[in-house]
Amino acid sequence: MATVNATISLASDITDNTISISNTSALYKAGGTTGLDTMTSVTKRLTSTDQVDLITTGSVSTTHAYVYINNPSTDSIEYFNITIGNAGAGSPTDAEEIGRLYGGDWMWFPWDVDDDICITPSVSTEMVVEYQVFS
Amino acid sequence: MATTATITLTSADIAGDPVNVSKTATCTKAGATTDLDQTTGLNRVHLRNATNKVLLAANAEGNDLAAKVYIINKSTDPSLYLTITINAQTVGKLYGGDWMFFPWSQTDTSANIEVAATNWTSSTGDIPVEYALFHEDTDFLTNA
Repeated sequence: MATVNATISLASDITDNTISISNTSALYKAGGTTGLDTMTSVTKRLTSTDQVDLITTGSVSTTHAYVYINNPSTDSIEYFNITIGNAGAGSPTDAEEIGRLYGGDWMWFPWDVDDDICITPSVSTEMVVEYQVFS
Repeated sequence: MATTATITLTSADIAGDPVNVSKTATCTKAGATTDLDQTTGLNRVHLRNATNKVLLAANAEGNDLAAKVYIINKSTDPSLYLTITINAQTVGKLYGGDWMFFPWSQTDTSANIEVAATNWTSSTGDIPVEYALFHEDTDFLTNA
C-alpha cells in the first residue's frame, strides 16, 4: 500500500497574536492504518454555468476517500459553487452547497462516497477546475 | 492582515512517479482581493456523544460572503471518526489525525456544520476536535 501525506499550514495575523497551524495526516483506508492505493487526477475546462457532476460515486470503489479541488483562476471574482447531494446520473439535481471556491482557492475534505460532488461555474467563459481523489 | 492556507500532498509510491502537489491560497473576501479580517481563532472541544452537535451555526447573511473552515480530529486512534454534516447532508468521515479545510456557504440558517463522534462509546475516550473559522462581515456569525 502507498504512503500519502496531506499537510496543511495555516498562518493568520488577523488576531493580535498570530495563528500558526501545521498538521500532517497520513491517508489511510477507513478506520485502519493501511495506506490508500488509488489516485485520480483530473483537469476539466468548463464553458457554461450549468451544474455538472464533477466526481461521481461510481468513480470510486470504496466508501472513504479524500478530495482535493483547486480553482486555479487568477480572477478573484470567478468561483465554483461546490455542492454534494443526490445528483442524478447525467442530470445533476439539487444538492447541499458546501461553499464557493473562488479563484486561487483550494479545498480538502474527506468524502463518504454516498453522493456525487457537483460544481457550478459562476461564469460561462472558460473556467478550469483541477481535482484529485485518493481512495 | 493576511490569512494564508497551504496544502501539500506528497506520495512517493501511489503512482509510478512521485506525487507532489503544493498550493497556497490567500483567503480573501468574496469576489475581492481584500483579506479576510475576522476569525474565531483556534478552538478545541472534546466530543463524547454519537449524536450530531453544532460546531458552527449558520447565519443566512453569510450566503454571499466568504468563509473558510478548518477542522481536525486530534484523536490518536485512527479508528475513531467524526461524521461531518452540513444541513444534515453527510460530507465525510474525519478519522483520527485527519483534517479538512473548505469554503463554507451559508445558504440558509439550516446550513450548520455539525459533527458527531459516531463510533464513540464510554470506553473509547473523548475525541478531541480543533477548529477555526476565518470569515468576513460583522454579522456573519451569531454564535461562533
